[in-house]
Amino acid sequence: MSTTTTPAPARSAGLRALLSRTGGERRGHTTVVDRIALGTAGLMVLLALAGPYLAPLDPYAVNLPAALTPPGAEHWLGTDANGRDILSRILAGGRTTLLATVAVIAAATVIGTVIGTAAALGGRIVDEVLMRICDVGLSLPAIVVALGLAAAMGPSLQSAVIALAATWWPGYARLVRTLVREVRDAEFVESARVLGVSRTRLVLRHVLPNSLSALYVQTTLDVSAVMLVISGLSFVGVGAQVPASEWGAMIAASRDTAVTAWWTVLFPGLAIAITAIAFNLVGDWLRVRTDPTLRTGGRR
Amino acid sequence: MLSFIAQRLGMMVLVLAGLITVTFLMTQVLPGDPARAAAGRNATAEQVEGARERLGLDRPVPEQYVSYLGRVAQGDLGTSVFTQRPVSDDIGRVLPSSVELVGAAMLINIAVALPLGVVSAYRRGRAADLAARLVALLGAAVPVFWLGLILQAFLSARWGLFPLTGHLGFGASVPAVTGMTTVDALLAGDLAAFGDALHHLALPAVTLAASYIAVVTRTLRSTMIGALDADYITLARSTGASEWRVVLSHGLRNALVPTSTILGMQLGWMLGSTVLVESIFGRVGVGAYSVTAVLQNDLYAVIGAVLVIGVVFILANFVVDLLQLWLNPRLRRGGRRRRAGADESAVQAFDLAGERT
Amino acid sequence: MSAHPTQGSPLLDIRGLTVSYPTPQGPAQVVRGVDLAVAPGERVALVGESGSGKSVTARSVLRLDPDARTGGRILLEGEDVLEMTPREVRRVRGARAGLVFQDPLASLNPVKTVGWQITQPLRIRGVGRREARRRAVDLLGRLGVADPDRRFDDHPHQFSGGMRQRVVIAIAVIAEPRLLIADEPTTALDVRVQAQVLELMEDLARERGMAVLLITHDLGIVAGFARRVAVMRHGLIVEEADVDRLYASPSHPYTRSLLDAVPRIGDAPGRRLGAPVPATTEGEAL
Repeated sequence: MSTTTTPAPARSAGLRALLSRTGGERRGHTTVVDRIALGTAGLMVLLALAGPYLAPLDPYAVNLPAALTPPGAEHWLGTDANGRDILSRILAGGRTTLLATVAVIAAATVIGTVIGTAAALGGRIVDEVLMRICDVGLSLPAIVVALGLAAAMGPSLQSAVIALAATWWPGYARLVRTLVREVRDAEFVESARVLGVSRTRLVLRHVLPNSLSALYVQTTLDVSAVMLVISGLSFVGVGAQVPASEWGAMIAASRDTAVTAWWTVLFPGLAIAITAIAFNLVGDWLRVRTDPTLRTGGRR
Repeated sequence: MLSFIAQRLGMMVLVLAGLITVTFLMTQVLPGDPARAAAGRNATAEQVEGARERLGLDRPVPEQYVSYLGRVAQGDLGTSVFTQRPVSDDIGRVLPSSVELVGAAMLINIAVALPLGVVSAYRRGRAADLAARLVALLGAAVPVFWLGLILQAFLSARWGLFPLTGHLGFGASVPAVTGMTTVDALLAGDLAAFGDALHHLALPAVTLAASYIAVVTRTLRSTMIGALDADYITLARSTGASEWRVVLSHGLRNALVPTSTILGMQLGWMLGSTVLVESIFGRVGVGAYSVTAVLQNDLYAVIGAVLVIGVVFILANFVVDLLQLWLNPRLRRGGRRRRAGADESAVQAFDLAGERT
Repeated sequence: MSAHPTQGSPLLDIRGLTVSYPTPQGPAQVVRGVDLAVAPGERVALVGESGSGKSVTARSVLRLDPDARTGGRILLEGEDVLEMTPREVRRVRGARAGLVFQDPLASLNPVKTVGWQITQPLRIRGVGRREARRRAVDLLGRLGVADPDRRFDDHPHQFSGGMRQRVVIAIAVIAEPRLLIADEPTTALDVRVQAQVLELMEDLARERGMAVLLITHDLGIVAGFARRVAVMRHGLIVEEADVDRLYASPSHPYTRSLLDAVPRIGDAPGRRLGAPVPATTEGEAL
């Protein structure tokens, strides 16, 4: 341990700043909170795959006599205005919400990676043009642009996914550009180039894999943000349509009963919030694990 | 300094052009006949043809783009098929109310997040820090519209602490001057109505502010930790400055540079998020207007709202950029550090992209 | 080691100082019992390589590290700094002992004018704005800053490294402390500027009768500045002697190795003459 105020190792400040966005500096080991978060996130993924089969009741079965039953033995989380079992709808709807979120992030990541890599490795002009386009994209409020695009394409979950992917990629493009440029200038790439490795091979085999860890940290952290916007779009009516059991649409469909039957709104929202928290914590955990400069903990 | 302003102005024009292009694309990606959409669902064949001619939809796309630019420049956002009034008039009438809501939410945001972020960074690892981080974690994960419905269901409906919806109590009114109920009540000298208006404003503003508080707390915490570890903090301490002075005049003053950028961008995002909040609390505003327009298939009204929110967003960012000149002396005169400053803002912009909700 | 006889009672009297830091592996002892005295107006150098504990010793005098666990005594004008309440420590800082840092790039607040920063030690002690400004401008002029009245309103990024270090010195001495602790004040500067800054500090100390404790890893800059040198290694003072005797016949092998690291071309001992072998990373600029 150094006794004087030795400056932190001169690792790229840009990358550190990008990665330290959540601010909670922790040691590298996995805490109880991390385990719970990992477990919850895993459970949510499982839910996306198996949810509809786990649902105790038919999520779409209308049962008007049982409408607005409070949580109890028969319906653990109560029923909505049409007598549908809320637990079953949450289990079945997780798939829709999570798949839509994953679709947005996957599309945005692919577009962002292609454009970011092109900007980093193309010439100055290519870089300049692409980055200005990104600036424009980042300068527009995502939810409003997505709302307009989705409304124009005709309200549906697909529209919402496409619209959101179209507004979300510039962030990834900028991240990938930074990462690729950093790796491009790193020593091992330099030595590979000296050894005569071709440019394409260099990008595919050496540059991209090294950039990926920061990228998947970012995608994990983005799950909650995208999920919130997707469900928000469903809530205002341009995403998943009634009677879909998508979580946001469930809240939208129950907004008139929110005051009289709180459970119709509370539980779908909790499902969103818990998933979002879990993915945020997992993202933080990944970030600390993959960034060696954050692992030491302590005051610096 | 001038080059900085010129650069920001150029960027603003570029982003405005981007925004207009995006909204133009929205008129183009319509499935089916845009003329029919413009004329309304129940329009007669003649009305549809009239709309087609008026909007130049029979002409080539580039020509349409140019005429679209011209119309937007004149403030012509088309006609709402639902109200049959110009979209710009409709939005102009509801916008002040949204500005009022956003202003209130921003005040709450600053009043909560600044102390929280500072205390959290200063008492790192202690109870106050954990509490602040919990607030940040929850705020970033809770859906805005859900929070609004839950607050309304419990605080208003169940416990009667706040009014359910609207701007003023039943039957009350103030003369509309600015369109912001609180301001109009003050202008009318009606303090009771002012209190009532604030009472109505409270829950929607808290709902709107929640997720932004999380982001500001988190960002301020991490920039503040960086600032507090800096040598100039130790130097300030070594001259005998009190902890208050060290933390506020030196630490917070430096951490405010990036934080103010975020607050500025949040002004625009908040205006966007009114989409999720206003209709829940029965408030008039551009957010509620666009939701209604979506439900009514009133495409030009939706696009008009997108355009107006986008323009306000862009203007807010420009103003904040100018504010940076005052907050960050390194931008004022050119110098060695300029490049570093530009990189910082790029990093921040990305940070924000990840945080938008 | 022989306690050096000094005239009257010492200004600073460190006795049996120990400093440790809590780490996950248990406390790390960094200073293990240091005795060091500085008489009023005296210039003393504390020399050692990075990690020897010399900076920690210096910072302990102003209690600048909240994590440090300290033992022993640090008597400043007869009062034990380690026993003081936080409020009393604040009254000592800047007014009775000033500190100059090694890195002038990082030790100035980038968003405040240099004038604001120089006048702070006075302003927080109730000196009026105008009077504080007058004294700061005088001091800047005295420290060789050209056109000090105009530069007063400039920000740190508008100053060169050497000029910034003058500003840092101004902040340390404006409240007229009787002791100046200079922690590697020249490490981050280029060679020509190093000599100027040392000379300024020496002149200022003479004029004001101010004592200086110079912390450095570089024996090359010590000779013309200090009369007495203490050599520190692994948290202990291994040798303490008059500068001439130390240079002529170092008794400790470690001192000899430090001396060997000083390049000697021509007329030593004087100001440092060649570029030093960078023994540490301490001087790395941001």
